[in-house]
Amino acid sequence: MHALRLREALTWTGRPRTDVVSANPTATASARSSQISVSDAYSYVDVALRLTAIALLLRPMGPWFVRPAILAAAVVVLIVPRALRHPLVWGGVSLLIAIRIADDWPLADNHIYLLCYWSLAIALALRTSHAPRTLAFTSRWLVGFAFACAVLWKALLSPDFLDGRFFRVTLLTDPRFDAVAQLVGGLSQAQLDGNREALVPLPNGAELRDPSVVHEPVRLRALASISTFGILALETIVALSMMAPTTRIFEMLRHATLLSFCGITYAFAPVAGFGWLLLVMGLTQLAPRQVWLGRAYIAMFLAVLFYGEVHWAELALDLVR
Amino acid sequence: MFSKWLPPVLLVVVAVLQVGLAQTVDLTAWKGGGFGMFSTLDHGAYRGVDIVVEAADRSESLAIPPSLETAAARAAACPTEGLLRALAEGVAGREQRYQRAVSRVIVTAWRTDFDRRTLQASERPLRTFIYDVP
Repeated sequence: MHALRLREALTWTGRPRTDVVSANPTATASARSSQISVSDAYSYVDVALRLTAIALLLRPMGPWFVRPAILAAAVVVLIVPRALRHPLVWGGVSLLIAIRIADDWPLADNHIYLLCYWSLAIALALRTSHAPRTLAFTSRWLVGFAFACAVLWKALLSPDFLDGRFFRVTLLTDPRFDAVAQLVGGLSQAQLDGNREALVPLPNGAELRDPSVVHEPVRLRALASISTFGILALETIVALSMMAPTTRIFEMLRHATLLSFCGITYAFAPVAGFGWLLLVMGLTQLAPRQVWLGRAYIAMFLAVLFYGEVHWAELALDLVR
Repeated sequence: MFSKWLPPVLLVVVAVLQVGLAQTVDLTAWKGGGFGMFSTLDHGAYRGVDIVVEAADRSESLAIPPSLETAAARAAACPTEGLLRALAEGVAGREQRYQRAVSRVIVTAWRTDFDRRTLQASERPLRTFIYDVP
């Protein structure tokens, strides 16, 4: 492994493999072998960069003065091999996303910030002589810190997460969770409607003489509790394993928990863009020999795509009705 | 070293600023790059702004017009004086364009609290800004 990394560092030229070969027609068999290793080392990085471009195309963002440029950059990255690994292209994307964040601050979602850091990380890594290793390191810490912040908010700063209120109210009032609240939580549509009415906020200090009662079946309370502590536990493990020193156990734990997190969370949370970004960042941490994990990440990328496009919970609800 | 650490360090710096803004000026945990989404009910669906327009013979509450929805969302997400003022100026400008009298605009940002036991919801004002139209 160490020897492979050393060869990568020695032979990376910042160009696709075909360019390297044509620039060096007298290469020895050993050098050719090294170039193949470089190509291997870049295989997941290239896939990750392409998937990042695809994510940019699938979720166009920003006002008119940045959106076309971001979309154009994504198209160019996908069809021009040199652009795929060009630091300026990714640096430009990062700058455009930063402009998009500033333009309507503070309304941008958190994954837009993460996308900005990620594009910057790609641009900086592609300027180094060992881009795959640099990108693997940076993506690990980006994911680790992002999850650590999420845990900090849920466990310490938020007043209504650990006591279960967040998921109780969200399952009862957020229309995006309607089907899950009925399918898993055991609520009827009439109860959901009644609960929404009961949870309409009153003006400050006002009290109803005869307040409506909120219906919360035992199953729904259990779902809220499992969601609360399950998500917190999973996010904590992802954060700790990403920030822990790289050993075989921690490495496996990182990938297992990140894939599990994406598989579970984005089945319910309508933020496919965030899921794709996390998966792309997980993918760049793989060594070329980790073929099955690579396939798992790509399969999960597609699963998150399907989660966003197929309302599976509603279909399941129709089936059981 | 620089190439490796700059993006993660940027993430941490922005997140620390976000926590600071959330604690001091009521920035919602969901926004601002601190990764507090899905951690609290204090987000856009349970925040809002009320607008009251006053003039010599007028005092009425206004619904948020479509042209000011973004300004209202920004003010609700982070009710700083600057963002509340921007919304109030937008409201005053719009009233004047429609030739309606306006001497003062009062903008109140609020959030919803849910009772820990019953989940009963109630609005709680976060900040009120009074804009006297020049």
